[in-house]
Amino acid sequence: MPMIEVTNLTKRYRDRLAIDHLNFTVEKGEILGFLGPNGAGKSTTMKILTGFLPPSEGKAKIDGFDVFEQPLEVKKRIGYLPETPPLYPEMTVRAYLRFVGRLKALGGDNLKAEIDRVTKATGTATELDRLIGALSKGYQHRVGLAQAMLGSPALMILDEPTEGLDPKQRAGVLELIKSLAGKQTIVLSTHILAEVKAIAQKVLIINRGKVAAYDSIDKLSEGGGLEETFIKLTSA
Amino acid sequence: MRNALAIARKELGIYFTTPLAWIIFTAMGFLSSLFFVGILGGFKQVQELARQVTWAKLPPDYALFKNLTDGVIVQLLGTVLIITLFVAPFLSMRLFAEERRQKTFELLMTCPVRPIEIVLGKYLAALGIISATLGITLIYPFILALFGSSESGSALEWSTVTLGYLSMLLLGATVMAIGMFISSLTESQMVAAFFTFVVALAWFALGMVAQQVDEPVRSVITYLSFDSQLRNMMKGVFDPKALVFFVTIIVLQIVLTHRAVDAQRWT
Repeated sequence: MPMIEVTNLTKRYRDRLAIDHLNFTVEKGEILGFLGPNGAGKSTTMKILTGFLPPSEGKAKIDGFDVFEQPLEVKKRIGYLPETPPLYPEMTVRAYLRFVGRLKALGGDNLKAEIDRVTKATGTATELDRLIGALSKGYQHRVGLAQAMLGSPALMILDEPTEGLDPKQRAGVLELIKSLAGKQTIVLSTHILAEVKAIAQKVLIINRGKVAAYDSIDKLSEGGGLEETFIKLTSA
Repeated sequence: MRNALAIARKELGIYFTTPLAWIIFTAMGFLSSLFFVGILGGFKQVQELARQVTWAKLPPDYALFKNLTDGVIVQLLGTVLIITLFVAPFLSMRLFAEERRQKTFELLMTCPVRPIEIVLGKYLAALGIISATLGITLIYPFILALFGSSESGSALEWSTVTLGYLSMLLLGATVMAIGMFISSLTESQMVAAFFTFVVALAWFALGMVAQQVDEPVRSVITYLSFDSQLRNMMKGVFDPKALVFFVTIIVLQIVLTHRAVDAQRWT
């Protein structure tokens, strides 16, 4: 069974078509790079996959569960980093991760171990007792990522996980994501092509709400390379 | 239910790490103490007067001032009730509006938590914070019990005091429920606080409109007003009808809030 199965997924906002009959599947353990110009519908698709927004038409299944019919089963399986990291500035990093962990049904020693693991992996372990509001933007972003990793969900959906990070932090986060390949399925959106090249096996390019290309990174890099393919496909 | 408790805990934590709760507590303490001193002063004056001319010669409505319970506490709780109408909207305004504004609503809605658990957790925290706010005023009955006296033993009639606090809690809990629903409809805390205040004040004062209309509308409006529902309880007469009235409104607001939160899944 594929991890993500999307059929004819469509989202309409009043008069605007955000995504238009998307079809794609993602196998377990894959890292999918989700590309597209601004406003192509990347965030909307991710919001539907996490059950935050309902589709106007079509279906999305996560691990065999329909996101609309069985939202709780789907939510048990995902970790999600939205475009804006969902943080409470008045909480400490520790209190925040504890809170999210409890909502993900982690408890006791298990929760402690998980907080240890994700803060070490994201380099936020030294900031555990600081207020989130007092952290720099890069650290805040990494706390958002730590939150998505809690409980090692089968599927991680990361909306621009490297946004707002300096080059060194970017490399660190990408390395981290790459290290999870095979164990977890990861969908990450970005508009930086080099990042996708570095870590993803497959690339999904969408443009104006439609699938423009969906193939392995090698195939899409044939000819003039990924940049050229991307520009050709999205300038239409 | 575990999820609801986790959310309630987070809410209460945030209330107490931001200045908001402390500002509200200070306002409640300051304002209620002003009224306490004022009302106590009035009580003392009437007592002096009665000592000079005897109670028989004073107008009948002065009989109120014969004991500390009716002469001070009931009066004081009446003013605390009004203060509650003003402060509760400031406590309820952030419940959902803030989650929407800082995008943490997305976190709550993508965690394996049912919307009703989110709503109940938030309401539980709301009940906690309004109880703490009202609890500050408990110091006045205790001061009177400690230093006051009466001709018939105990300085205060505790059953009346208890019912007075029950009425205030009912009103506070109701305004918090209304405020939570309104907060679930907007991203702006200001808008949430303002509309909650307007709705609560109007609902409280419906009785005044009732005087201007004919029966049977008058009875209906009077029945619906917070003020008339609380009248008996505030005087120390237990009124199960009022209890049912307020609990019904609270449940209705919780259901409406749940609909508003769950609507995210549909639109």
